[in-house]
Amino acid sequence: MRFTLFLAFTLALVGSITFFCTGAEAQDNPIKIGVMGPNTGSWASEGQDMLNVVVILADEINSAGGINGRKVEIVSADDGGDPKTAVLAAQQLYAEGVVAVVGTYGSNVTEATQDIYDEAGIVQVATGSTAIRLTEKGLTLFFRTCPRDDEQGRVLARYVKELGFKKVAVVHDNTSYSKGLADETRQLFADIGVTEVFYDAIIPGDRDFTATLTKIKAAEPDVIIFTGYYPEAALLLRQKKDMNWDVPMIGGDATNNLTLVQNAGEEAAAGYYFVSPPGPGDIKGEAAAKLLATYQQKHEVYPTSVWAILAGDAFGVIAEAIKNVGDNPEAIAQYLHNDLKDYNGLTGPISFNEKGDRIGEVYRLYQVDPTGAFVLK
Amino acid sequence: MSFSFKGLLSDRVPLEEGGGKERILPLPLTIAGIAIFFSIPVIFKVTGLSSAMYWLEVLNTVGLYAILALSLNVILGHAGMFNMGHAAFFAVGAYVTAILNLTYGWSILSTLPVAGLAAGLFAAIVAGPIIHLRGDYLLIVTIGIVEIIRISLTNNIFGVTGGPNGLMGIARPTIFGFKIARPQHFFYLIWIVVAITVTLFYWLENSRFGRALKFIKEDPVAAEGIGINTTRYKLMAFVVGAIWAGFAGTLYASRMRTISPGSFNFEESVLLFTIVILGGSGSQKGVLLGSFLIIGLPELFRGFQNSRLLVFGAALVIMMIFRPQGLLPPKPQRYKLPPPWDKMGQNGNSSQAKVSLSKKDD
Amino acid sequence: MDFFIQQLTNGLTVGGIYALIALGYTMVYGVMKLINFAHGELFTLGAYIGFTLLVTFNFTGLFGTVIGLGFSVILVSCLVAVAGHLLERVAYRPLRHSDRLAAVVSALGASIFLQNAIMLKWGAQRLAYKPNILPNVSVNIFGQPMPFIRILVFLVAVFVMFGLYIFINRTRTGMAIRAAAIDQGAAKLMGIDVSRVIALVFIIGPALGGLAGLMAGLLYGPINFNMGQIYGLKAFTAAIIGGIGNIQGAMVGGLLLGLLESMGAAYISVAWKDGITFMVLIVILVFRPTGLLPERVAEKL
Repeated sequence: MRFTLFLAFTLALVGSITFFCTGAEAQDNPIKIGVMGPNTGSWASEGQDMLNVVVILADEINSAGGINGRKVEIVSADDGGDPKTAVLAAQQLYAEGVVAVVGTYGSNVTEATQDIYDEAGIVQVATGSTAIRLTEKGLTLFFRTCPRDDEQGRVLARYVKELGFKKVAVVHDNTSYSKGLADETRQLFADIGVTEVFYDAIIPGDRDFTATLTKIKAAEPDVIIFTGYYPEAALLLRQKKDMNWDVPMIGGDATNNLTLVQNAGEEAAAGYYFVSPPGPGDIKGEAAAKLLATYQQKHEVYPTSVWAILAGDAFGVIAEAIKNVGDNPEAIAQYLHNDLKDYNGLTGPISFNEKGDRIGEVYRLYQVDPTGAFVLK
Repeated sequence: MSFSFKGLLSDRVPLEEGGGKERILPLPLTIAGIAIFFSIPVIFKVTGLSSAMYWLEVLNTVGLYAILALSLNVILGHAGMFNMGHAAFFAVGAYVTAILNLTYGWSILSTLPVAGLAAGLFAAIVAGPIIHLRGDYLLIVTIGIVEIIRISLTNNIFGVTGGPNGLMGIARPTIFGFKIARPQHFFYLIWIVVAITVTLFYWLENSRFGRALKFIKEDPVAAEGIGINTTRYKLMAFVVGAIWAGFAGTLYASRMRTISPGSFNFEESVLLFTIVILGGSGSQKGVLLGSFLIIGLPELFRGFQNSRLLVFGAALVIMMIFRPQGLLPPKPQRYKLPPPWDKMGQNGNSSQAKVSLSKKDD
Repeated sequence: MDFFIQQLTNGLTVGGIYALIALGYTMVYGVMKLINFAHGELFTLGAYIGFTLLVTFNFTGLFGTVIGLGFSVILVSCLVAVAGHLLERVAYRPLRHSDRLAAVVSALGASIFLQNAIMLKWGAQRLAYKPNILPNVSVNIFGQPMPFIRILVFLVAVFVMFGLYIFINRTRTGMAIRAAAIDQGAAKLMGIDVSRVIALVFIIGPALGGLAGLMAGLLYGPINFNMGQIYGLKAFTAAIIGGIGNIQGAMVGGLLLGLLESMGAAYISVAWKDGITFMVLIVILVFRPTGLLPERVAEKL
């Protein structure tokens, strides 16, 4: 009896979902663009911001009549921040018939989907995946609006030298991105005359880093280089301050997130350096200001990180290409490689090289000021 | 007063006619069902379904989890050992395949036996000292093992695992010169392995080994009492399950082409555990159904956007409340007793005495 | 030596939080033989409710530090206790007479549900307790400044453990709980309402978990919706190390786990810290299959 009931329940559920999924009727021939991001899981806030930004930009285009008269339809797929889920998300977007995909955030997640998009003939523009190898595979349909870790490592090492630090502690968090950046930076230490007095990995998701900080302190560095993400950076800053230890700290672009200051508290975050592509507030463009205003109006807060803005840029270049050459993926890729020159993006001018990497030095040095604002140095 | 229990463990115990083995569907229907299932890619192709590749990938994922869950079923369902670290053996298999393929240029299929054996060997080494632990203690220790594996892989142990990046560029498998690359190719590869797994484990379940495990699960003291070496059988179950998880690792590595430590964590083990319990611990049909539900439901729930996992969690609770013994629990098996027992019947003449080995609700 | 003592205090604070959560695991397990996998999410819930009270409603600003904090502690404990009670009613009670593993899966489902419910309610972004909720006082211990909150966490954990110990061993209700833990059937025959005992356990355990969440928020600041996963796993490990079902065991296990982590990080490697912890767990269980403290039935909860 219960089993029958259960069966009825399951059928009802499945039925309602099928109905729900097919409920949205296709408009007449819109251009479908996918957004693949981590809408659930540990990086859910990044994924949700990405989607929000792209939806705002797409709405803008649609209310202005679409691209060459055709509406844009955004198809969202959740990759959960996990390679296995991402494979299914990619197949889902392929099934939906998208011509191009914006995303995603994590490098290893992007990597799991690269082959699928390439075989399916879909343009992929990654937004937060900075691992070097992604663009070293000769995939012609793959692009990214974020820079690469080798460039970031060079810039990070240069600023460590310019700021006059001699003894450094390097801390990463054993994720693909973080270890990559740490290694890129470390190999330049000999060139810039810096000695490494500490090197270890913290565990992401941990909350108490006092044991680690106590250990680092015993090594007496001039600066802590932390190449991980903002949640751990905030905890390190806050606990460092609780120990009354005022050693400077410098980090990478994964800490460019206003949540860092909010989590660490202004006092603890003040003086923290990081290198990053310029944030939306530092771009004098009209487009960025307008986007931020709409975003705040719609969601009551600002997007917290630069990665969501880079998702906006990814959407922007795709839309620009479609406007010029239509919605054939090959043509879009051709256009992005060769004809897109200094496109006026949210994060500055955008052009791509033959590998699909963004051209130009985009990294800047930022410091957190006592009010908690990110100040361009 | 000496009567032999040997018969109970011999390979020749006849199953009683019409006993617990009746099928849900008659045989022809089952065969037809299987035939239809294996022609899904063809149907997709003929009908030109736009989301064909997506659903094939979903089915491939289901199949892969089915292989893993079936192998866990030997340990958890048949031997009754709470193993929440099955992803550890899966990881060993996947990494062995990846390393042999990338560093030594072995073809994927030739790495298959090595991956299985490596996982089995690893299981034999780690399970030895912990096999005697009671349920929940075993559970946390196996969680510990899978975490140690993940941490070791992340920290690039022996310098061969690629650290947090993992290993990438793993080759596709080739069978008689045919390269398996597209989702529909993997569909056949994976589901044929599922079919082999089901057949083999069905046979195992009804062998002397399978019956011994069942006895151990029901009553370890009595099993020990009649001379079953419980430790040895439990260890064997562990190793068999691990070998199979190692095979699944090979398939996984060649399907994803890139593997990283994050894919072999504790949550993965929890997922497998859930599949087995939800489907019906000890029942292969149940485990297959469980794989479809656990992997398939979140996909069906994609329409719910950000709340899809919320709905999934609620669905798990509801399913367990309605079917606490699992969706398709194993039927109690009835055995015809060998002659010596017959003579022991209540009045000395009952030739139909039955012993029912059923699953207790405890 | 200084270094060692600092690492000792670091470990004890972390351990204090683990112990508070582990107490919840151990109590529920003692009576129901159920691993409440959703316990970690109750911890998260406590942290979030605390955030709403202390940051959104600014309780300490409205009522002063001591009263505001006291209010928050009581409210958080009560609300999380209600949540725990509901959890028991919905997800566990229907399964009380079923296979134990069914309850485990139900618990896992409840855990996924709660985690995502928290994400949908409070958002996926990390929130943070402001650093100035408690006065920023440091106490010098062995020449090292120790923030007051760290000492408070440790003291609260010890205090709760003693309170619970006395409650279980010296009161009639406590006796009923112990009776139900040893044999539910016999307890029923003695006129004990086992359902009520279980309900009570599911009020105390979650309340302590919620309290731990609030403490973690005050201590570390940032909170996020899946923080309970790691804490839940660690605390469960702690409860097992100490001997699950044993109140002192949870305390010992929690503190030991905290110390293992800090000493592992300090003297071996930060990256291998958790690996070392699990190795020690396995070694302990190989030699003492039921945890460190003896599992004497009379003393078992």
